[in-house]
Amino acid sequence: MKIASLIFVGFTVILLLFSITTYVNYRQSVKVQENTEWVQRSQLVIRQAARLHRNITEMESSLRGYLLTDEPTFLEPFDSAASENKQLYTELKTQVEHNLFQEKRLADIEQLETRWQMEVAKPLIQAKKNAFMSDSARQVFSNMYSDKIKKGSERIINNQIRQKFKEFNNYEYDLREVRRATLGDSVEDTEAISFVLTTLSIILGLAIAFYISLTISRRINTMVQLADRIASGNFGIFIQDSSRDELGHLAKSLNSMTKTLSENISQLERKNEELDRFAYVVSHDLKAPLRGIENISYCLEEDYGDEMPVQVKDYLSLMRGRIHRMENMIKGILELSRIGRQKNPVEVVNTKLMLQEIVEMLSPQTGLQVFVQPDMPVIETEKIPLQQVFINLISNSVKYHHQKNGKVIVGCEEKEDCYEFFVTDDGPGIEPKYHEKIFIIFQTLKERDAFESTGVGLAIVKKILDDKKCTIKVLSEIGNGATFVFTWPKHVVDHISS
Amino acid sequence: MIDKIANILLVEDDYLDSMIVERNLRKMNVLHKLFIARNGQEALDMLRGNGYEKISPLPSIIMLDINMPRMNGLEFLSELRSDSAFKDIKVFIMTTSDQEEDRTASEKMGVSGYIVKPFNLNNSSSSKDSFNLFIDLMNLKK
Repeated sequence: MKIASLIFVGFTVILLLFSITTYVNYRQSVKVQENTEWVQRSQLVIRQAARLHRNITEMESSLRGYLLTDEPTFLEPFDSAASENKQLYTELKTQVEHNLFQEKRLADIEQLETRWQMEVAKPLIQAKKNAFMSDSARQVFSNMYSDKIKKGSERIINNQIRQKFKEFNNYEYDLREVRRATLGDSVEDTEAISFVLTTLSIILGLAIAFYISLTISRRINTMVQLADRIASGNFGIFIQDSSRDELGHLAKSLNSMTKTLSENISQLERKNEELDRFAYVVSHDLKAPLRGIENISYCLEEDYGDEMPVQVKDYLSLMRGRIHRMENMIKGILELSRIGRQKNPVEVVNTKLMLQEIVEMLSPQTGLQVFVQPDMPVIETEKIPLQQVFINLISNSVKYHHQKNGKVIVGCEEKEDCYEFFVTDDGPGIEPKYHEKIFIIFQTLKERDAFESTGVGLAIVKKILDDKKCTIKVLSEIGNGATFVFTWPKHVVDHISS
Repeated sequence: MIDKIANILLVEDDYLDSMIVERNLRKMNVLHKLFIARNGQEALDMLRGNGYEKISPLPSIIMLDINMPRMNGLEFLSELRSDSAFKDIKVFIMTTSDQEEDRTASEKMGVSGYIVKPFNLNNSSSSKDSFNLFIDLMNLKK
């Protein structure tokens, strides 16, 4: 599977889980909401029923009050309660709708109340109102009173009403409890479900993230390490990653890149070797006829020296001068072509001692002094090329010095990953426009006839330093001397094996 | 002091080089008879008398160039060393090649000296030793 798909699937799974969690939580909250409403409705029903019951009781007492005192004000609460009850019945009916038991009970209560009003309250009130008109009417009231109140038919109805209310309330209390319990349960369920689902999503999400990061980062790390090794010049390595995803593809590209690089480099090395070999063979073969010419010039001088005019002798000497120059140039090419081909032994080099030997060997003319700084390093390195670099630089400083007195200073500065040597002089200096040119073979800044020079020394220095992946720079102005600064490795570097 | 003339065989393809050798030998007052072969094959034929008049007595010294047409110096040397009739002949390599492999190959086949041309004293120390030995040998024959 592609890594992009893997990441996509992982995120989709996590998102899906969270969506489910959210949905379930939503459903649970709706349930809790419903149950809360149910509990609230039960509470409302209980309150309304209590009010209804109180109204009925109040009607009873106002009836008694009126009957005893004949005071019409007692009837005012009766009427208001009766009218309020109508309202309460309507409300309660809607609240207990669909609950057949409570509907029935409420209907019974209403019926009983109506019965009480029609059979007891209303006739008695009417009779009481008529009682003052005549004795017979009073008698009628008296009879009715004893019949309805004293004999207890009213109490029976009242008791029945009380009983019904008790049933109604008890049922509603139970219902409220059940609904409270359901509410509690659903709240608990909600908590449990969301806890489980959230935990599950987190664990799964973490697992997916962990898996993805582990597998991908491990492989990326491997590749980074290998890429580092490629960068450090090891082109023979091969990344094992046969997966058919993006990283597998990257590994394949890296592999083909290394292969191409390795091919190109070995081709380049071959070409370089060929070139050096060519330079060696060509210069070697060029030497033979040159030597022949020289030999003939000597033969001429030996055999006909006495008979030769002076001018011919001068020409011969000029010819020999050119022959020597060409020989030196060929020697230069040979030396140049040898650099990098010869394996030099690695040894512990005390650069101070080495430089003292070099100065002694060069034995500069009096008036010219070469100073070597005291704190020169001891390096484990190939001695011969380093020696060659110093010889060429110091001998240039000495050779091209334009005054009788002068000095050359050789020193070193230790850098983090290399040594930085310098050779500085107070000679004539080099114009900045020649700073690049002087490192090219056979480039000289003075006319060869005036100053015999092959123009190979700095080319050799440059090639040695290039071979060691070191750098050289010139700091110079005309008339202000010149400083050559070059780097040298601190440790022996393994050459890329060809 | 001397009762016979030294026979020297020079195997050299370059006319000018052989001329210089001849001149130098003459300057050294060496009593000698110089035979010149232009390549290894010609030298062998001259030693064996194949198509040439046989060199007699056999030369005591052979001066041998390495780079030659038909049969080069090292091939000639190996042929020479495989024939016991020539075992007393001293061989000096005289060549422009200062390549290590040529030097070791010729030393393996028992040469008396390896002289890098040009034929003078400005050469490296080993060449100088060979050259001195050569001079000594010449003087013995005087």
